[in-house]
Amino acid sequence: MAASELTTLSIAEAGDQIRRRSLSPVELTRAYLDRIAARDAECRCYITVLRDQALAAAAALEKEIVAGQYRGPLHGIPIGLKDLIMTRGIRTTCGSRILKDWVPETDATVASRLFNAGAVLLGKLNLHEFAYGPTGVNPHYGTARNPWGIDRMPGGSSSGSGGGVAAFYCAGALGTDTGGSVRIPASLCGIVGLKPTYGRVSRAGVVPLAWSLDHVGPMSRTVADAALILQAMAGQDSADPSTAAVPVPDYRSGLTGEVRGLRVGIVRDLFFERLDPDVRVAVEAAVRRLEGLGVRIEEVRLPRIHHATPAVFAIIAAESMAYHEPYLKTRASEYGADVRARLLTGQFVLATQYLKAQRARQVLRAEMDNALRQVDALLTPTTPIPAPRTDEREVTVEGVRDDVRAWLTRCTRPINLTGNPALSVPCGLTASGLPIGLQLVGRQFDEATLLRLGHAYEAVSPFRAHRPPQAD
Amino acid sequence: MADLSKELLQSIAEVLAGVPVDPADLPSNVAQLGSQLDGLARLDDLDLLGVEPATMVLPPTEAPHGR
Repeated sequence: MAASELTTLSIAEAGDQIRRRSLSPVELTRAYLDRIAARDAECRCYITVLRDQALAAAAALEKEIVAGQYRGPLHGIPIGLKDLIMTRGIRTTCGSRILKDWVPETDATVASRLFNAGAVLLGKLNLHEFAYGPTGVNPHYGTARNPWGIDRMPGGSSSGSGGGVAAFYCAGALGTDTGGSVRIPASLCGIVGLKPTYGRVSRAGVVPLAWSLDHVGPMSRTVADAALILQAMAGQDSADPSTAAVPVPDYRSGLTGEVRGLRVGIVRDLFFERLDPDVRVAVEAAVRRLEGLGVRIEEVRLPRIHHATPAVFAIIAAESMAYHEPYLKTRASEYGADVRARLLTGQFVLATQYLKAQRARQVLRAEMDNALRQVDALLTPTTPIPAPRTDEREVTVEGVRDDVRAWLTRCTRPINLTGNPALSVPCGLTASGLPIGLQLVGRQFDEATLLRLGHAYEAVSPFRAHRPPQAD
Repeated sequence: MADLSKELLQSIAEVLAGVPVDPADLPSNVAQLGSQLDGLARLDDLDLLGVEPATMVLPPTEAPHGR
């Protein structure tokens, strides 16, 4: 197989070849590094590329394979990490000027778990500064580009993770998701993104945006690959008290393709209001394809879900301001203008408004859990619009003009509030060739059903035959 | 959108929060906060009297073995 083709292998495919010793981790890692070196100057998905370290790690892992010490399906798989996930001895910038030279002394739990599973770190991926924005626009390191249209934003805040996975610059990646930052770039870049349940994956060693809304999740080109990454990093962590002692199932074994009899609820409230016409058509078509697989579709109401928008605003604003206040008092000029202004808004949120939002959260979580007693999962668009141009600040949909950030986060941020797991899977392309994402929302700690549904849908999705122009 | 003044926000920042203000940021602060105030006020519609706030760092209570 030519080096250029190696990077198109899924994690499952490459891992199988590595296990059978028909593919060398060094060969695979070098193929990715060469591709990054040749092409990423334009796409800017990486902030830091670790060529020597990655090749050394791959060589060590190859020796283990030869010695019969196989770690599992991530053994020798090259990945990228969003650059707010701490990595020992490797700078972790958070996409900021303030932390441009910060070199942590420890790995985040998720990083160490992936390394222990045999993953090879190719580099640290670009992001919206301190993860505070859904567009990925970054004034310090350049804005990562969407491989489906170089003038389009990849979405954020995990912009480099989304663009990098879609452009075959890594086999998989980790992102973080506070209001949609895994699922939005997944949707805009035509890849899979999973926000696990709050408490399923450790956040220890991940620089926070808003403690009570932050999640770490896998981003990949297939659902099976997301399952493999989640498998390696899920589970309780003594370093993160928010993680739960909930058993982690074998996700991959659940990917049988059989979904007949599962019940999926369509939530029209909020999620289907004002959609780009191509998004509406693609999501409705996905519903029919799921029906064709034997899934029972039902209408489900979440009549109070509109309250999620102001509640999430108050929580993110207050918590992010609390974290950043020391920097804002002394180094405010080093922030990009948009992130600084958003952070400073947080000091004007009253404590009573913050607590009211956390009380509203209980009500909305109960409403969501009640809906998920009627069905196995909920279905919504991931984003109401496809990828905007990088210079667009407002977009008009069905006659309503609004901020791009509001459009991008509308369908994702309520799920950060309730903490449910949510999976974004590509479900089609717009007439202009931009990806569209389908969001599946599951019961607390039931990522397995989402992966099962997403995997079955992926096999019949019209998207599966397409690749981004920048991948050629 | 609620009527907020830049001067009010500047006073809160400097006097209450102790955060230096760049006047260039204030229009954005006014717009962001102002666009959410109506929604924040409408949270009262949820009848929160008997509801305690979510505890920040703990997992959902629905977790079979959650804390």
